[in-house]
Amino acid sequence: MKLSLFNSKNKKIIKDPLMGENPISIHVLGICSALAITTKIDTAVVMTIAVVAVLSISNIVISLLRNHIPNKVRIIVQMSVVASLVIITDQVLKAYMYDMSKLLGVFLGLIITNCIVLGRAEAFAMQNSPSKALLDGMGNGLGYGAILIVVAFFRELFGFGSIYGVPVITETIFMSGYENNGLMILSPGAFFILGLIVWAHRSYTKVIDKD
Amino acid sequence: MRSDTYTIIFTMIVTVILGLGLSITADSLRDKQVLNVELDIKKNILSVLGFKKDGKWSDEEVQLLYDKNINEIIINSAGQQVEELSNSSDSRYTIYESRKSNKITGYAIPIAGKGLWGTMYGYFAIEPDASTVKGITFYKHKETPGLGGEVDKDWFKNNFVGKKLVDINGSLVSIEVVKGYVSSTDPNAKHKVDGISGATITGKGVTTFLKSDLEKYEPYFAKIRKLNEIESL
Repeated sequence: MKLSLFNSKNKKIIKDPLMGENPISIHVLGICSALAITTKIDTAVVMTIAVVAVLSISNIVISLLRNHIPNKVRIIVQMSVVASLVIITDQVLKAYMYDMSKLLGVFLGLIITNCIVLGRAEAFAMQNSPSKALLDGMGNGLGYGAILIVVAFFRELFGFGSIYGVPVITETIFMSGYENNGLMILSPGAFFILGLIVWAHRSYTKVIDKD
Repeated sequence: MRSDTYTIIFTMIVTVILGLGLSITADSLRDKQVLNVELDIKKNILSVLGFKKDGKWSDEEVQLLYDKNINEIIINSAGQQVEELSNSSDSRYTIYESRKSNKITGYAIPIAGKGLWGTMYGYFAIEPDASTVKGITFYKHKETPGLGGEVDKDWFKNNFVGKKLVDINGSLVSIEVVKGYVSSTDPNAKHKVDGISGATITGKGVTTFLKSDLEKYEPYFAKIRKLNEIESL
């Protein structure tokens, strides 16, 4: 049997987390880091890359081990795998991309506590083959990153008047009385933006909490 | 349901493999990381002393520029230049002196102190007159990106350039990071710089440790100012 990596079923695995099953706006996971590192687009982009890498690899490893992990200790095993991967990522960045590692600082280590990583290991990788787990990891990482970058876009635009470090609000607009919104730089600004995005996204995808 | 023995053996194997993987990675990357940190420190000393380049410095360039232009001198708490401390209980301070064709072009001193989330480390550079700020830089801090983390951005660092450390009588006042903007009518504006919005505590931290670090070096710089004064007469 010939199995293409990108048949329609596998495409769904990678596409769903981007829209209908988005980890942030639908499942409300990974909120802490979505608040912490979204003041500027560049940190959001680097964080996205790191999360996609860790999530993909941890999904593959857990999926390979899935038939051997004793049920009683499965969460601990998943946790150890994720933690080790995050530390290795941190070490590799420190050795080969020192500037990028300095930019992310403590937040890279905090990927360990990102509920999405553990959530996907438990909910998907434990039941599926490594190739599917890889796609799921990439999809969820990108779905997480997409929201991060959208939030960062608005916060940077209104908080600093720039997009990806390039000033877009010109001096003349400032002269006519416009001011950067300080609230956008602080955590409450992220809550407002994130709330609006969750609202918009849910009314578009027609997802409603059943209770 | 698996047996308890299986569970214990499985956990042990996983732990050993992960532990081994981690130590091998950490150990094999350590030399490279240490080198990165050293180069980063040298790069910071160079940039705070006004060595500039469009784009990025290569590792070799940093090493070469540093060896050629920077001279490390050690002083004791009385501000005397020493080879090595005779009395080990005395404090030991390092000054990085930059020279161009045997003329001193600036002094850099290490600065460190508490920000909001942790200790911030950096360098502070002073012009050869020992009273004007040449530059400031931070190479390690835990401040929030976009807020306190802005201390290592150009707009904040450039505010320090040209400010005065001492008043007209020649006594040390240091530089204060204010909340908001420095008013142009403030008579002490030359000792103050604009703060970062949303990062008042980081700014206060910088003000505090800058003053205490500059006080440590004051005996040495006071001597230089005096020497300069005599020479100009």
